[in-house]
Amino acid sequence: MNIIQTTNLTKSYADYTAVSELNLHIPQGSVYGFLGPNGAGKSTTMKMLLGLTRPTSGSFTIDGKQYPKDRVEILREVGSFIEAPAFYGNLTGRENLDIIRKILKLPKSAVSDALELVAMIPYKDRLAKRYSLGMKQRLGLAGALIGRPPILILDEPTNGLDPVGIHEIRTLIRSLPQKLGCTVLVSSHLLSEIELMADIVGILNRGHLLFEGTPEELKQTVKAQGCPTDNLEDTFLALIDADNSHRGAIQGGAR
Amino acid sequence: MSFLSLISIEFHKIRRSKILLILLTAAVFLWLPAIFHGDVSFRTSADFGILPENNFMIQGFLGMSWFMFPAAMVVCTVLLQQTERNNHGILKMLALPVSTVGLCLAKFVVLLCLAALQIALTVGMYYISAAIVSHTQNYPFVLPLPFVLREAGLIFLYSIPMLTFFWLVSVCIQTPIFSIGIELASIVPSVLIINTKLWFAYPMAYPLFAVSNEYGRLASAMTPSDVNLTPLLIVALSSSVLCLFLSCLRFGKYERR
Amino acid sequence: MNLGLEFKKTKRTGLIPAFAAGGILAASIPILNMAVRAEMYTGLVAAPVQILLDANWSIMSMLNLLLITVGATLLYHAEYENNALQKMCSLPARESGLFFGKFLLMILLCAMTLTLEALGIAFCTAHWFSQSAGLSAGLCTEILQNFGYELLLLLPAAALSLLLASACKNMWVSLGIGVICVFIATILPIGRFVPSLFPFAMPYRLLAGTAADIALAIAALLELSAISLGEIILIKIRRSLT
Repeated sequence: MNIIQTTNLTKSYADYTAVSELNLHIPQGSVYGFLGPNGAGKSTTMKMLLGLTRPTSGSFTIDGKQYPKDRVEILREVGSFIEAPAFYGNLTGRENLDIIRKILKLPKSAVSDALELVAMIPYKDRLAKRYSLGMKQRLGLAGALIGRPPILILDEPTNGLDPVGIHEIRTLIRSLPQKLGCTVLVSSHLLSEIELMADIVGILNRGHLLFEGTPEELKQTVKAQGCPTDNLEDTFLALIDADNSHRGAIQGGAR
Repeated sequence: MSFLSLISIEFHKIRRSKILLILLTAAVFLWLPAIFHGDVSFRTSADFGILPENNFMIQGFLGMSWFMFPAAMVVCTVLLQQTERNNHGILKMLALPVSTVGLCLAKFVVLLCLAALQIALTVGMYYISAAIVSHTQNYPFVLPLPFVLREAGLIFLYSIPMLTFFWLVSVCIQTPIFSIGIELASIVPSVLIINTKLWFAYPMAYPLFAVSNEYGRLASAMTPSDVNLTPLLIVALSSSVLCLFLSCLRFGKYERR
Repeated sequence: MNLGLEFKKTKRTGLIPAFAAGGILAASIPILNMAVRAEMYTGLVAAPVQILLDANWSIMSMLNLLLITVGATLLYHAEYENNALQKMCSLPARESGLFFGKFLLMILLCAMTLTLEALGIAFCTAHWFSQSAGLSAGLCTEILQNFGYELLLLLPAAALSLLLASACKNMWVSLGIGVICVFIATILPIGRFVPSLFPFAMPYRLLAGTAADIALAIAALLELSAISLGEIILIKIRRSLT
């Protein structure tokens, strides 16, 4: 069963289309790796799923609920982490989480639980504006994980972390479906990273979905297209490159 | 890097900040009541022995120098500080090979220019509203440009010590509510202080004093106070220099802790 | 619930001390005024509280309005500064709850400021108008009535400045518009009823014991509902535009 499903989801601005007729299928209990270069439309898609930006056309359902009718119900089930860390600089890490906890109506223990999940207990009483980039990132992750929601939407959660931190967060995300029974939509611009975490991969370029399937299927597909498959990063680059030259040709032809 | 190019960079930073729109709106609202109540000038002129056209101009400038102009300048200091702090722009600036003092002074020059702009907009709006009222009241309200520019220049000169104080407060106090609060609150007492003998000890009262003294000069029923220039110049110069010196000293210190 | 959260968010922003300082500053105005020239007022034939308010209220309420404008601007600046608003919008809560929470907080802050000012007026009455028999129960009721009324009249301005602050991402824009509003109020002829309907002009009016008092109170409540509706529409529009 698909817990998140989008139908021809599109977001266009005056001068360009960020996301074009996207059809995502995210099964319950999976880690879905959302892959694409910078500016491919990953963040825009995730923002639409969270109701932070309105789709130009198309629709989506999350756990059978529809946006915008069930916006608040959707958000109740989704923990999210979007782009740049969002926090109140004048409050400590613990106080920031406490605000989210109160809005989600969670028990007091949820804060320390979330802090523990991201290994932030030692820094919980420091002001958030004095955090290092990695700590801000972890605080944002804790804000997503708090209350252990059934669905997680994480936008490049390992940005700004050191190798040890990246490894910890990856392992954490990988373990979440078994540990908490949740579904994770996680984005990255590194295929090598997605490969380590995801059950299913969706590749986005210039707002279009190039591929959706398991990493194994991805290898077979590109093999059939004659792209290199021994190194995944090369595979990804080749795919994006082929798509870019294809779209360039279309645009050139249109002119 | 030359000081001039530093200033031009500072002007670049406030592009698309909508500050021009705010200053223009302030100038428009300043003259609106004068347009609607054009006849008031005739009554006041009889009471105080001032020509209606002089009264029309001075009343507008009084309203400006009492609250609108100082408050708009507080908004400008907020603009100058926040553009740096919003996305840690100041950290980048401090990491570049430019002198901190130069940076601080360049920003102050921008503040001076914004003050001049606000006064210029007020003068511009004065001419528009004077033309309208001349038409509605069938009386020539428009005054010659040199005369109006003299008043405008006077306000600008008298406002410099106040601007240095605002700039010092905005540089030294990092908590926005305190810096803005102190600056705005410091404007309010000036209306009481201009009537005391020690008005020259309070830079925030200078612009209002200058205009109300001009009113006294133009109205035969009132006697302008004798401006004793020596204490005024001593206080104004020393406080301005001290404020600028301290703000240059403190500028960027918080970020470099 | 919302109020508690908003209260928590103001930690270390200096907001509460600033409102307290503003209240003390405004309360010191009648005291200073009396200390300097008590003879100008003690001889007047009217209720002492009325004399004191007539003499000092315009400057006191101007300080209150400036305080509200700056306070509202900074309440929302905290949301915009580190993107916290985005996080709040991705939580299962109504965005308008944020506004009403802040508005409740603002009411409390205004009440605190006005209480300090009321104490200042009470002190002046007891100290300089000794013929009014010190702090009697009647005096307390009179002060309570006056300042309760002022609190009500202050609310539309508080709500409007919060609305402006929520609409502007850059704090100098909302501060600039707020300052212009305060200025407009100073040039309006407050004595007449219609001009005093402007939210920023309302707080200058005093309890006069006429029918206009009640009309103005009703107008204040109507304006409050209109501004709240305005905020809800603003949120809707912003949602549909992003």
